[in-house]
Amino acid sequence: MPEEKLSGAVADLIAKIRDKDPKVRAEARDNAGNVGAPAVKPLSSVMTDENFEVAREAERALWKIVRHAGRPKADSERKAVVTELIPLLGDIQPVRVRREAMWMLSEIAGDEAVAPVAAQLSDKELREDARMVLERLPGQRSLAALQMALKTVPEEFKINIAQSLRARGVSVPGLPSQKLVPTRKTDVKPTE
Amino acid sequence: MKNEKRISRRQFLATCGAAIGAPYLIGSGVLAEAGRPGANERLTTALIGAGGRGRGLLDEIRRSKIADFIQCVAVNDVDENRLADAAKWESRWAKRPVTPYRDYRYILERKDVDTVVIATPDHWHAVQTVHAAECRKHMYVEKPACCTIEEGKAMVAAVSANKVACQVGSQGRSQPEAYLSHRYLVNGNIGHIDKVWCFHYPSPVDNNPVPDSEPPPELDWDMWLGPLRWRPYNRRYLPGSFRWMMESGGGQIRDRGAHVMSCAMWWMGADGTGPVSVEATGTSPPRGVWDSAVTMNVTYTFKNPDWVMTWNQQEGNAPPAEERKPGEDRIERPGYGAVYHGTKGTFTHWGGDGGTWAERKAREWVPPAGAKDVYRSPGHWEDWYEGITTGKKTIMNIEAAVGVANLCVLGNLSFLLGRELSWDQTKREIVGDEQARRLVGRPQRHPYHL
Repeated sequence: MPEEKLSGAVADLIAKIRDKDPKVRAEARDNAGNVGAPAVKPLSSVMTDENFEVAREAERALWKIVRHAGRPKADSERKAVVTELIPLLGDIQPVRVRREAMWMLSEIAGDEAVAPVAAQLSDKELREDARMVLERLPGQRSLAALQMALKTVPEEFKINIAQSLRARGVSVPGLPSQKLVPTRKTDVKPTE
Repeated sequence: MKNEKRISRRQFLATCGAAIGAPYLIGSGVLAEAGRPGANERLTTALIGAGGRGRGLLDEIRRSKIADFIQCVAVNDVDENRLADAAKWESRWAKRPVTPYRDYRYILERKDVDTVVIATPDHWHAVQTVHAAECRKHMYVEKPACCTIEEGKAMVAAVSANKVACQVGSQGRSQPEAYLSHRYLVNGNIGHIDKVWCFHYPSPVDNNPVPDSEPPPELDWDMWLGPLRWRPYNRRYLPGSFRWMMESGGGQIRDRGAHVMSCAMWWMGADGTGPVSVEATGTSPPRGVWDSAVTMNVTYTFKNPDWVMTWNQQEGNAPPAEERKPGEDRIERPGYGAVYHGTKGTFTHWGGDGGTWAERKAREWVPPAGAKDVYRSPGHWEDWYEGITTGKKTIMNIEAAVGVANLCVLGNLSFLLGRELSWDQTKREIVGDEQARRLVGRPQRHPYHL
């Protein structure tokens, strides 16, 4: 998004997040919460900046917005941020952005995020994050999405879904927990 | 299996147990005399996480009074170079082969392993403790016990259900001057205590940030991450610097807070209790991948009885270290500790971990007739060993350790969210804040889960 088209507070935030001085970036990040939903999409664009420090501060500024919007008695702010986050799960977004957006939604979203997150289960790179986010999202709709996923995901991923269902209190026969099953062999030889 | 290996209380008391009663009167030469179990009666242990801290812990065991009662038979690490070094090092001391493993679950499968020493980064503590308990291994696990409230609940449940002895590595409770401090305070020498002011210097800033990259070939990055959600490798995550990542370490409040606040909860008689509110402020790093608070002030408000504990993580806030006379233990870590405020005065201690130093007035206080005494740990390892062999609660048992870790967790959570949290200690729940409530646990990556 061209910065000249952004509103004053958002443009100022983005400019400072791109600043060469880390202290300016950090101050902007720390004050991002009040800028709120209008800054979500512009910040997500900076999350893939070639300067990895700038990209990281954009991501952290976005988290500041999510943490601020999730406070008690701020439901309209929270919903506005959720509304801006959901489109960041779209296929055209970079994996990094989609992954972070899912985790942000896991903290503040309700049922409206379930279908967009569940759609990520079809992406091999993101399906484990999607599974974990569905596990955290409260309510029957996320539980139903996990139960549906047990029927639709590839065979090798069903065991992961079973883990989340158990965490949600659902019995999953036929897919026993693998948590105590060792799998990783070492090349280090025992010392005599 | 454990019962067969269990050394009787009589045997234990005849050896290191004798030292528990008067640890400073019996020298190591006497302790090496007859009455100890033979080599084939030793407990076996395995090290999970063979970095500097883990290897240091096994060295501590070898220097402790239980050295002859426990032997290492396996080591684990997800870094092949460290694993090879550790296996080689431990083999120097071993009377049996020391087997290296990348995957700690091979160790838990072994019926001949009685105990494990867990010294992995914090984000592994809960999962490995729960797994070890479920495989009926006694465990020593480094502090802080847990990274989330839900992890703590699972640890307490697993240790209790499987009746294993768990010692958490907040060694401050077992230090000689911690005993003197505790005894001094509970006898009312500074009156009713209504404030404990903990001090510590700031967490560091990553002044050499680097981009994400491929992990080195010797490192199993997937297994290092374990239960954490996946992210690309960055060489500023480890080794050791996991401490400054909020998810895997949590900064000074979780590192040293788990020591200093452990002493406070013990001495205040507050194990099992918790605050009603937690409010944190602080500063985040201006650069780099580390994201723990650099400076931090946390206020914990307790009710019935009413008192306040604060965690103050600032530059230059430590009270001057006490001057000590020749021959007295020098204060080696004056940069952290706590000041206790009572109605009749104050009391300061420095350190709070394996080094705990009490203000002179506590060290020189002579208890009058009828004074209250308090539990005097024979040593953190010895206390664990007694827990294994007799079934008694360890001094830093899992319930107490989770209680302290929860303080650290809640402090960081309040800092992250930028607001005060209300806490229900009975239910171990955050009240009136849906976002915070969701963050008392975190989903775990398959198959590394509780």
